[in-house]
Amino acid sequence: MSELSIREPPKILVPIEVLEGNTVPDALVRFLAPADVVVLGYHVLPEQTPTEQADEQFGERAREAVDDIAAAFEGEGRAAETRVAFTHDRDETVERVAEEVGATATLIPNPTGELDSLLVAIRDAVDTERVADLVATLLGEHGGDVTILALPGHESGADAARETLEARGFDADRIDTASAADDSVHAIAEHAADFDAVVMGEGGASLLARVFGDEAERVAAESFGPVLVVRERE
Amino acid sequence: MGTTDEEAGPPDPAPLDTVESGEATVTEEGTELERSIGLLGGLAIGVGTMIGAGIFVFPGLAAGRAGPAAAASFAIGAVIALLVALPASELATAMPKSGGGYYFISRALGALPGAVVGISIWLGLVFATAFYLVGFGNYAGEMLAQLGIPSAGVITPLALVFGVFLTGLNLFGTENAAALQNYVVGLLLTILVLFLGYGGLDSLGVFGSTSTPETFMPFGPVPVFTTAALVFTSYLGFAQVATVAGDIKDPGRNLPLAMVGSVLIVGVLYVSTIFVATSAMGSEALRLAGETAIVNVADRFLGTGGVIAILLAGLLATVSSANASILSTSRAVYAVSRDDLLPKWAGRMNLKYGTPHVALAMAGGPTLVLVALGETEVLAEVASFLHLVMYGLICVSLIQLRREDPEWYDPDFRVPLSPLIPALGALASFGLLFFMQRGSQIIGIAVMIATAGWYKYYASDVQLKGKL
Repeated sequence: MSELSIREPPKILVPIEVLEGNTVPDALVRFLAPADVVVLGYHVLPEQTPTEQADEQFGERAREAVDDIAAAFEGEGRAAETRVAFTHDRDETVERVAEEVGATATLIPNPTGELDSLLVAIRDAVDTERVADLVATLLGEHGGDVTILALPGHESGADAARETLEARGFDADRIDTASAADDSVHAIAEHAADFDAVVMGEGGASLLARVFGDEAERVAAESFGPVLVVRERE
Repeated sequence: MGTTDEEAGPPDPAPLDTVESGEATVTEEGTELERSIGLLGGLAIGVGTMIGAGIFVFPGLAAGRAGPAAAASFAIGAVIALLVALPASELATAMPKSGGGYYFISRALGALPGAVVGISIWLGLVFATAFYLVGFGNYAGEMLAQLGIPSAGVITPLALVFGVFLTGLNLFGTENAAALQNYVVGLLLTILVLFLGYGGLDSLGVFGSTSTPETFMPFGPVPVFTTAALVFTSYLGFAQVATVAGDIKDPGRNLPLAMVGSVLIVGVLYVSTIFVATSAMGSEALRLAGETAIVNVADRFLGTGGVIAILLAGLLATVSSANASILSTSRAVYAVSRDDLLPKWAGRMNLKYGTPHVALAMAGGPTLVLVALGETEVLAEVASFLHLVMYGLICVSLIQLRREDPEWYDPDFRVPLSPLIPALGALASFGLLFFMQRGSQIIGIAVMIATAGWYKYYASDVQLKGKL
């Protein structure tokens, strides 16, 4: 939409474990299409298997699966960049590719229907500029509402996010606010259940994160919806 | 039969049709292959593969043959390993691909030497794995004996059961094997450094016990070399780092450091272990104690606690060596089947578990047969024989590549004093073959003739992609 003023067009990395038969639901393709999309098809191998060996046998199949996903984006009028990787360590690969392509957000895909409502959870030092660019781009053309969830102690960050979003030209009537009782992953996930997708920051590399996985991954697992993780600026 | 994917096209000047970034390789089709092993991981592979044998199996056998000069035998082994590790590092940084020695030799010297080395090294690793498993059986049996459980005749069955277990573990995927390997190696090094520290001070007379003075070379100089040939199996791990070269991050820096570093670490540990052991017990007592002699040394220094700690360390070390060796075998099989020197199906992998099941079975299966034979010294020597042939040819390959200097040859690490070092490495590797037992030499040569026959029969029409 012409009245939106996006500073940094969002680029979303979509990592998909293609050989496991995973793909991107059509509704999610339509939702993401306004942004620049990089589809990363990957396959995780146990350490005893050389990546070359897997590529030789399954590389073709993986590339076809990724091209199919890219074709779905093309159907929505956006050419998606594609990458295919064989790895022993998923997170390392996703992080490397995100850095190489300059992704502003990474998707954690989950099954979904139409996406009309978005929850933005503000905690820690999430990059509000990037959040605003992302939300305005995705919802600007597509329609739908956003709710900014302030976690305890991060109310000023939530206000900043709201102001930045309005400054981008996003309709103030479509922005709602809420606050959470505590700042646990569980609290975010509980709110997330009422929304179609979640936008949140990366969260720190805490001990909990090491044991239970990334906070965003836990939110995705508990809320059963897709999660967009906004990356910090390097 | 026996063609490569490039056969019809124009000859490809470079074996590396890929782009390297230090963190990932990008193939010509654009697939990215993540490099996920760092320097510590590389060192752990090298040290973890080697350490099982030198400390936990050989001290008794070596001291029995060479007396206290067994320490010199281990030192000779370390020098030879270093002379090969340097050229191997240069080649690995120029060709950081899975396959290691086979890959270098086949590209520099041609398909026949490549096939002989590639297939022999598969069998060489099978011999090495069997040797480590027999070592494990000895430790498991000794552990049972310490616990008061009658253990006569259990060594071979235990080794067999564990061989099946390890192969199965690798077939069905071991998610965190590498992380575990790092911890196992760390724990082993800690136990050994404490043990050697105490033992070293004791043998220098710090704790007031009298050590038995003994002639350094009671049997003369020749056994020092035959023992070096026997115990060279203790140094077979460094080249295994090159077989995972495709997975090593920043290979230009990490490959040479991991290869040379792991040889230095285990070399120092081996020489000090033999020194401590012979000073503490005398070589005759070590000989009588056989494969688990180091346990008796621990008993003398530290009593039951020390015995249990060393037995545990011995179990961990032999298992870690056997496991690393099975993994290398599977990669060796893959490397030759990729080039059609073995049927393609040997390198197939299973998507459900993500593992190369045929290659792993080709690693585990023949190993069990050899374990059942149970001849420690022959297993060790044949493994060393086949590896030494490859090591010698690695050095020759380096000299050849330096002389031809093809356009694609651009290693990040260059051996100093070339061609002196690779020439010495080749001479030393081939020279050591002459000090082995006749039986081991015959088996080794028979294996090589058989592989050459296989090449003539099956693969003589193979064109290697990117050969000189």
